[in-house]
Amino acid sequence: MSTLTNNLSRHIYHSGILKWLRSDGRHFQIISQLAFLAFGIFALNWDADWQKYFAALVGTFSAQALAIHFKVAPSNSLKSALVTTLGLCLLMKANSPWLFLFAGLFAVGQKFLIRVNNKHLWNPANFGIVIMIIISGESWISPGQWGNSALLVFIIGTSGLAVLSNIKRLNIGIVFIASLLILEYCRVVLFLGWDTDVLFHKISSGSLWLFALFMITDPMTTPNSRIARIIWAIFIASISFYLANFHFINGAPFWVLFFATPITPVIDYLTKHKNFSWNTSSTNLNTTTK
Amino acid sequence: MKTIRKILISLLILPITAQSAQAFCGFYVAKADAKLFNNKSEVIMVRDGIHNVITMSSDFKGSLKDFAMVVPVPVVLKEKDIRVVERNIFDVLDDYSAPRLVEYYDQNPCAADLYNNNVSDCLSRVKPIQTIALNEENIDKKYGVKIEAHYSIEEYEVLILSATESNGLKNWLLDNGYQIPTAAEEVLNPYIKSNMKFFVVKVNVEKAIKNNTGYLRPIQLSFDHEKFMLPLRLGMANSEGTQDMIVYAFSKTGRVECTNYRTVKLPTDRNIPLYAQQKFGTFYKSLFDKEYRAQGRNAVFLEYAWNVSPYVSMKCDPCVGPPPINQDFVTAGVNWLETPNPTVFFTRLHVRYSRDKFPADLQFQVTPNTENFQCRYILTHPASGDLSCEQGQNYLSDLYNRRKREIDEVYALAGWNYNTLATGYLNEIVGQMKEKPQQDQKNEFIPTLPDSPSPDGNSSNPLPGILIILSMLLIATYKYKLPQKQNLSS
Repeated sequence: MSTLTNNLSRHIYHSGILKWLRSDGRHFQIISQLAFLAFGIFALNWDADWQKYFAALVGTFSAQALAIHFKVAPSNSLKSALVTTLGLCLLMKANSPWLFLFAGLFAVGQKFLIRVNNKHLWNPANFGIVIMIIISGESWISPGQWGNSALLVFIIGTSGLAVLSNIKRLNIGIVFIASLLILEYCRVVLFLGWDTDVLFHKISSGSLWLFALFMITDPMTTPNSRIARIIWAIFIASISFYLANFHFINGAPFWVLFFATPITPVIDYLTKHKNFSWNTSSTNLNTTTK
Repeated sequence: MKTIRKILISLLILPITAQSAQAFCGFYVAKADAKLFNNKSEVIMVRDGIHNVITMSSDFKGSLKDFAMVVPVPVVLKEKDIRVVERNIFDVLDDYSAPRLVEYYDQNPCAADLYNNNVSDCLSRVKPIQTIALNEENIDKKYGVKIEAHYSIEEYEVLILSATESNGLKNWLLDNGYQIPTAAEEVLNPYIKSNMKFFVVKVNVEKAIKNNTGYLRPIQLSFDHEKFMLPLRLGMANSEGTQDMIVYAFSKTGRVECTNYRTVKLPTDRNIPLYAQQKFGTFYKSLFDKEYRAQGRNAVFLEYAWNVSPYVSMKCDPCVGPPPINQDFVTAGVNWLETPNPTVFFTRLHVRYSRDKFPADLQFQVTPNTENFQCRYILTHPASGDLSCEQGQNYLSDLYNRRKREIDEVYALAGWNYNTLATGYLNEIVGQMKEKPQQDQKNEFIPTLPDSPSPDGNSSNPLPGILIILSMLLIATYKYKLPQKQNLSS
């Protein structure tokens, strides 16, 4: 088996797929998100609403194409729009395709309209989802749609692909989950006295993992300093924990990230770190992330 | 004050009277109502902002004096917040939202139009809330139990308890004659720590007998709290197997869905053979069971979702029973009918829960999702009369293929194997055909798989495995790459 996988691995490596995958962290994201969408549609029997997915794609691509046209975004940045589209398809629910279109437009549009220190503030998908919930009243998040069986797929799929990618910021997602796990353990098991399966049930929510692996890890919208990012993750986890357990807010992390995001420029100002760029070489990346 | 009117047992045995109601697309012919399922309870939940109205119906069977119910509630309820309602409301809602069987009639292509429609009925059921026996007493510091309130409400004696520790509460309940399962203590503790109160009910047998309803009337609780959940765990403390629960939920905006388990639609709008009509209840039970397993035994199922606002004329397609009227909504706890153009959205959820697959209580949210949904299965009657003309023969050929698909469908949905019924069902058509279908065609659809559902639905799903293998391959690739990279750099 190992010879087989090694041979296959060698083949994959020489075919250049790996090189391509590692050349841009977004490739890893797109592949993972597509896999999760397929998992949702085919294994979890979601209602695949292609009209809505297409509307989201049109929204994000229009905004990104406009930005490329006016030279405020690099020519290869359509990949970012695709990541945002998939984020919306995976997490957002709405009654009409128009809401997906506008979510896409707003999500990507805000990247170029709301900038501080040459860096956009919000994670686009997070912005699109939350802003549509607030302004339309016809849009929502379904935290239960992944169930709990998706956990293994999330962890293995993501960690497997992550080691191949050059996104070094997965640590923020891990810190987020770990902080939440510790807090929930203290409350659910130590304080309330539930069995650990209640804890496991809570922490294995697919939506939570999607948030941790794809939204809070967005390198463009998290603090640039490593220490600041870790504190940031703990902060988001703590507030989410509080709101979910004491105010029973569904999808708390999405709301917390949305409202806490404007603090990141302040943190960056205090820590004075260079901004992240998707296309820096790995050497540069290391210097910016560490 | 109304009294208990029916005998408890009758709840389980009474068949629902299937009422025919013509809708624009057909007649209702059968339904699969809550009474199909044993060991079930039914709950009506109304949610408006943070205002909750929860109505619980128990299918308790036994001596009235043994009845007791303990429900964790987030606040101390006032007397005006507790009502006893008639059982009838559950029947109205159940009848109206139950999975349904509809029937259509083909036109004779050789003759004049013969068009008719029919609809049938469906069933669904819920499980009872945990019941334990109980006896009231005053504050007892020894147990750390405080009686927050004590009300006599119609045939019920209600206590609202708060406790500081589970052992005290358990002992208090036991010492006051309430039989609680030994496993209850570990479940009581988390509720106590969450600052929940315990709504404890027993029956005033004298009043109950005087009322002579013959069954336990549902109790309705109203309170304001951010929590929108149903506590299941206490009900599982003394139950090994699975329990069914049917939730009838009403909101102002749209569907109610579960936030900590998947909410999954049951298969709907499927064509099934005519012979399924007589056994529609069995069919639906099998279908539900199959789907329950296929979804990993831990999903919440959507059976009905519809905007039933007074201003909406079409509330089902076709209707299984008469639509709920305003009075029914008021009884259920909908309190916003006075507002201009009130929207009432009705969601029916069916959950089969067990201790191992549902470790946490059900939590819900109201969504703005206004998409209508109903569980509907379709029968199509063949055209009657002389079918010897060319179009008639073409029709028979199509009909033959359609029946094959129906037999496949009933296998896929309910696991009903190809059998003599199915053979007869096809031969009916073959008998009228001048050109007989080939033998191999006739048999090609016969299911060959064993009719045993996989013990765990998770295992039937290949995608996780594929993803895992893919990930492992990529990890292996990465490992292989490291020395190469070092070589290159050196």
